[in-house]
Amino acid sequence: MRSRFSITRFSIGLVVSLFVVYLGLIAVVMSYASVTIAFSQSIKSDESAVAQLEAAYLTEVERITSIDARALGYAAPVAKWYVPTRGGTALR
Amino acid sequence: MRAQFRFRIRLLLGVLVFITLCVILRLYVIQIVHGQEYADKADRQFSSGGSGLFDRGSIYFTRKDGNLISAATLSTGFLVAINPQTLLDAEGAYRAISVVASSSISRDAFLAAAAKKGQVYIEVAHRLSGESGKRLASQAIPGVQVLKESWRYYPGDTLAASSIGIVSYGSGDTLVGQTGIETMYDGTLSRTGDALYKNFFAELFSNVGNLLVNTHDIREGDLLTTIEPEVQIRLQSDLAKVHSRYTSAETGGIIMDPATGAIIALATMPTYDPNNLQKIDPTLLGNPLVEHVYEFGSTVKPLSMAAGLDAGVITPNTTYTDTACITVDTKKICNWDQKGRGVVRMQEIILQSLNVGAAWIATQLGQEKFRTYFTKLFGDKTHIDLPNEGRALLSNLSKPQQIGYDTAAYGQGIAVTPIHMIRATAALANGGVMVTPHVVRAIRLNTGIERVLDWSTKTSVFSAAAVRDTATMMTTLVDEKLNAGQAKIPTMSVAGKTGTAQLTDGKGGYYTDRYFHSFVGFFPSYAPRFVILLYTNDPKGVQYASETLDATFLDLVHFLIDYYGVPPDRGITTSP
Repeated sequence: MRSRFSITRFSIGLVVSLFVVYLGLIAVVMSYASVTIAFSQSIKSDESAVAQLEAAYLTEVERITSIDARALGYAAPVAKWYVPTRGGTALR
Repeated sequence: MRAQFRFRIRLLLGVLVFITLCVILRLYVIQIVHGQEYADKADRQFSSGGSGLFDRGSIYFTRKDGNLISAATLSTGFLVAINPQTLLDAEGAYRAISVVASSSISRDAFLAAAAKKGQVYIEVAHRLSGESGKRLASQAIPGVQVLKESWRYYPGDTLAASSIGIVSYGSGDTLVGQTGIETMYDGTLSRTGDALYKNFFAELFSNVGNLLVNTHDIREGDLLTTIEPEVQIRLQSDLAKVHSRYTSAETGGIIMDPATGAIIALATMPTYDPNNLQKIDPTLLGNPLVEHVYEFGSTVKPLSMAAGLDAGVITPNTTYTDTACITVDTKKICNWDQKGRGVVRMQEIILQSLNVGAAWIATQLGQEKFRTYFTKLFGDKTHIDLPNEGRALLSNLSKPQQIGYDTAAYGQGIAVTPIHMIRATAALANGGVMVTPHVVRAIRLNTGIERVLDWSTKTSVFSAAAVRDTATMMTTLVDEKLNAGQAKIPTMSVAGKTGTAQLTDGKGGYYTDRYFHSFVGFFPSYAPRFVILLYTNDPKGVQYASETLDATFLDLVHFLIDYYGVPPDRGITTSP
């Protein structure tokens, strides 16, 4: 009675299976790499856009800092009184 | 059976030959018939690949509320390159590039580059915006490549430029930090750039260790500095005004937390814009705050006073007889106004900035003790995390002549860096200990973990009682002498001291008409949150530091009180 198991068929099946798995792995790796690169570049682009906003913020602070109040018509107070603050608004 | 086998073999062979012929035919069509078309297409695809983009960690300012603002980051856009071998219409290409690129090379240089038929890649324009780059790429001009690029970008332009530093190629072919934090933490900021392109499965079999514990993730990260951007802007703005008004050779300032050594702002004038490397004067690339040494003058007097009080050779109530001038080792030491004060208490040495009094303290201390205190204060580097820190020049304190000690007591004959000076002044503000000044508080690793750096090393130099008495004298100076008493803030004790030193003439003497002005101060006087150091080197048309730096110091004090909401530490009047 001949056994139904054939080493040749088993090997062929194994090779085919491994080949399919190999192709699958290549596909996964390539997809993973391309997605990772795309995400990375997307993050870099976003960071670049944020940096532009930060530059605008710093420029605005600089503009406010350099304002000469006297040139805008404001005068130094004649007298100053120091009082307890009731809230944090004045102190930011 | 054999005939059937032969037939099958021939059939298989025929199929293989047919397939081979098909492949050859297809290759002929692709490579010969449509070769140029595909080459151009590949050329353009390569142009937009950008797999070798420059990458580097970011440096952040830390706002008072903890929000991070980029000090150095990356900006992305496009560069334009030409392939002279495939460029057909150089004039037309130049016109098209000029429309979108403001930084392209001149027409003559472009045409000269286009004529170099032996080359295949010449960059002609950089830093195009995304929109401009895409618009140019859409024209698909033969021989013109539009590539993605990234570059180092400093959103604050000149903000803390000398401390943040720059990156450039230097002597190698990779961009590395050359000055400031960029070079000090280059190992943390630099990126190898290979992480994205590794084969995960190959790594799994060959280098599983790196997958579990990535060495890059341990080392690489972003830097979180202690620099507060709005305070930095204020400091720079104020220093620029002084620098411009007095046409000084150099003006600088540091604001630091005396308890921790965290530097909140630091700046020097003139400065530069690190976004525009071509226009930077190379002589400005250093950082005078840590590299240059100066004779600070009378701002050293509070340190001599604290040394005398700490050693117990004087008390606040000790008196001496001020004779206007004294002769030491055949050299004459005089008060700034050549006037004697008679019998005066120690406080007057600070209030009236008496050189003779400071020299008297040095004599009371004796050479050995004086040397010990000043070596503790200035003998070693501060170990700030900025490159090329200079050493103090204290050679006069290793000589037997008393004149060297007497002059050192009022800040002449010894030279220290501004960072040395603010650290020593901080010791007067924080109970008598020397902290480690620093500008980077933490590293945010690629994994997201924030690694806080340890700057807790402290060295005790003065007793708490000695520095409190000294702080009282400096506070009285601000309340009574600064702006003739007008500078006094009723709700806030502020300690300060001006310094006016003669500049050395390089021949062993001093100029009689050129000065180095400095100002040190801290507030609130007895539990300080901020210590401030200001200086301006060789200001024109003015003699005393009280004329150049008082207003700047007071402006910064008022700004910091308001910005940080520093609570009052002394009497409040509710109504007139």
